This record gives sequence, C-alpha cells and structure tokens, in this order.
Amino acid sequence: MSPEPGLRLVHSHESADIDELLGRVARGDSLAFDALYDVVAGPVYGLARRVVRDPARAEDVTQEVFLEVWRKAARFDRSLGKAKTWIMTIAHRRAVDAVRRSESQKRQDHHGAPDEVVHDEPGEAVIASEEHGEVRECLETLTSLQLESVRLAYFNGYTYAEVAALLEKPLPTIKTRMRDGLIRLRDCLEGAR
Amino acid sequence: MSTDLHTLSGAYAVNALSHDEAEEFRKHLDGCPACREEVRELQEAAALLGAAASVEPPAHLKASVMRAADQLSQLPPLVTHIDSVRRPRWTPRILGAAAAVVMVVAAGIGFSQMQQDPDSHLAAGVTRVFDAPDAHIKTVGSANGGKVSLATSKSLREMAIDTNELPELTGEQVYQLWTITGSLPKSAGLLEDPGSGQFMDLPDEGIEVAITIEPAGGSKQPTSDPIVRVTPSEV
Repeated sequence: MSPEPGLRLVHSHESADIDELLGRVARGDSLAFDALYDVVAGPVYGLARRVVRDPARAEDVTQEVFLEVWRKAARFDRSLGKAKTWIMTIAHRRAVDAVRRSESQKRQDHHGAPDEVVHDEPGEAVIASEEHGEVRECLETLTSLQLESVRLAYFNGYTYAEVAALLEKPLPTIKTRMRDGLIRLRDCLEGAR
Repeated sequence: MSTDLHTLSGAYAVNALSHDEAEEFRKHLDGCPACREEVRELQEAAALLGAAASVEPPAHLKASVMRAADQLSQLPPLVTHIDSVRRPRWTPRILGAAAAVVMVVAAGIGFSQMQQDPDSHLAAGVTRVFDAPDAHIKTVGSANGGKVSLATSKSLREMAIDTNELPELTGEQVYQLWTITGSLPKSAGLLEDPGSGQFMDLPDEGIEVAITIEPAGGSKQPTSDPIVRVTPSEV
C-alpha cells in the first residue's frame, strides 16, 4: 500500500495539544499515546521516509521513535522546549542513525567502494506540499548554499564533512552556512507566527 | 568559549556531526547556556522543516506500535541528578551492576532532552545503554512468566538487560546470564540483583544471549532450559 501525502491541516493549537498529550503519556495513559500517534505519526513517518527512503525501514524508524517517546515521556521537560520538537528531534536522530548504519554496512559489503551520491532535488522542491507554504517561503529566504547545506544534512542525513565534499566547499564554509541557514529559517518562521 | 566550536551548533542541531564531534560539542554545551538555547531554537526550526515533509504512514503501523508499547515499561521521571561521572574504560567481562550512583548537582542540568540518567533502581550502566541515542530496545517474555527488556547500542558497543520484571526466585536459585556461540554456552555472570539489571560488551553478530535459572552460586554449564533467548545483533 502506498502512503498518501499528509493532508491533515496544522492547527495553531496543535502544538499545545501535543504537550498536553505527552504529559498524559508520561503518566502511562495509553489512550493519550494513541491520540499522540494520530497527531505526530505523519510528520515522524514523513521525515523518516525523506531520510531513509525505503518505506519498510521508515516504518521501523517510526516504530522506534514512538517506543522511545513512550518509554521516555516522563523525562521530557517542557521548560526546555516543545513536545513536538522533542519528538521530531528523536525522529531525525533515529532516521539519520538508520541511514548511516546502512551506509557503513554497504561500504563494508563493497570493500570500501564509495557510494555514489545522488544530487536529486532542486532547492525549490525541498518542500513539495502546498499546506506548508510558510516553511517553503522561509526556505526561499536562504541563500542557495545555505539551503543546500541544510537540506543535505537534514533530509539526506549527511555529516557536514560529507556535505562539504559533495558541494566542493571548505569545511568551515559549510559549517557556518548550515548554522546561518537554520538561524535564518528560525527567524523567518518566528516572524511568520 | 571557542568561536570555532560554537559555529557547530547548526550542524549539531541537524545531527550532521560525526560521533566524536557531537560528543565534544555536548561537552561544550555543558558550560554554555547561550549555546544550549541556540541549539534548542535551531532544533525547533529543523523540527518544523521535518514536519513539513509529513506523509501519513500505512494504517497497519499504528497497531504494531501500540502493541509494542503495551509490552514496554516506561522510565521514571528524573529527580535532580546528572550523570557527570564517566565510566572508566570498558572491561571485557560483565560488570556487577550494583555500582553506586553518584549524584552531582551541576549547572545546566538536563540541558538536553536526550541526556541520560540512571533509574532509581536500575544500575547507571544499564540505563546508559537504554538511553543511548542509537539504542535499539526489545522486550521479550520469559518462560517463567516475567519479562526482560534488552537494549543494544552500537555507538557504546554495549548491551544492557533490564531484568527488573523477572519473577523473584527462592533463596536456593539464581538467574544466570549466558552468551551462546553456535551451541556453546558461556557464563556471562549471575543476576544476583535482577532489580539493577546487567550490562556488557555488545556480543558479535549472531551470538545469542540467554538467561537460565540455576542453583544458588551459579553453574558452569546451564542445568535448565533458558527462560529467555535473544540475539542482540538482531534487536
């Protein structure tokens, strides 16, 4: 069965709901966990798909993410950020971990032959969905090098050293572009709210 | 604060540092509240980017997640504590897990939601593996009606077992842990206090880990069928 693009609208109070749901999950409320899944499974699975590509592995990553959320819900400290950020940070870390694990496995299998890196998406196609116009508009405020650096790291799971090699730029350049790009994205998204 | 290190905040927020660099940057964060705030904000921006890639997962996944969560115990909340004591180099044998937990109150407690801390009862070395960023966790039932959770971490090269939910034994018996290579069992130590769990080096690919019930003091070879058998490399 092929997954459909997320069509759920994002409501402004959604984030507060996620915080509240996670608070209940921390107390072992499995109904709240069920509801939390409904709200964040799309973003978690979508991110996993973008990073690991393979749908079956993206499902595995999604399952790992939710089990970690369930297990560690009581350790989430809401004074340190939003529940949704916490969950998406776990999702990204697990997806990147999965993709790096499989890359290093492939490298072992191929006796050190480097993988071909596919330069697959133009910058403007980073966010395809219409409903996330705000994020897309903010991405357009980034320079092309900032955008490429952020995109290759975030959606392809590359390290900044790999991004630098791929874009043939010095390491410090990529390091600062990645940071500047994210800062610009943050400022733009904050301004949009 | 090193300017050079500080500029890694962006790469850190999108997991684009190598393992060693990330470790070094985390140490830097310990002493830099402004950097922690910046990382938090950049992670939030990255999370919005990730959420914009939303795709509904296949319907069957939900049932599988719910079923798995139902089998998995939750970690207790943190009580003021930071695990600032790094374990010395790993020894190849199983370590008794009753190590004292050192409580240190320091600036910037829990700056990261990913910070690892010991449970109230599980040994610090055990929760360290369960809380590792790359931990793979599996819970299996034991043949004597309890359950055991196993965590493996490739970055730590360790595995840990939470034996907290194994049924209590009589004084004449003890749980014993084994590694099984091919069909050769080798003792990996006694679980004298199942409440604190055990941790050990991550066994090589294909090696199984098993738990048996043995007479007090343990056995050289298993004298009963395993109540749990897991292959850590498949977790």
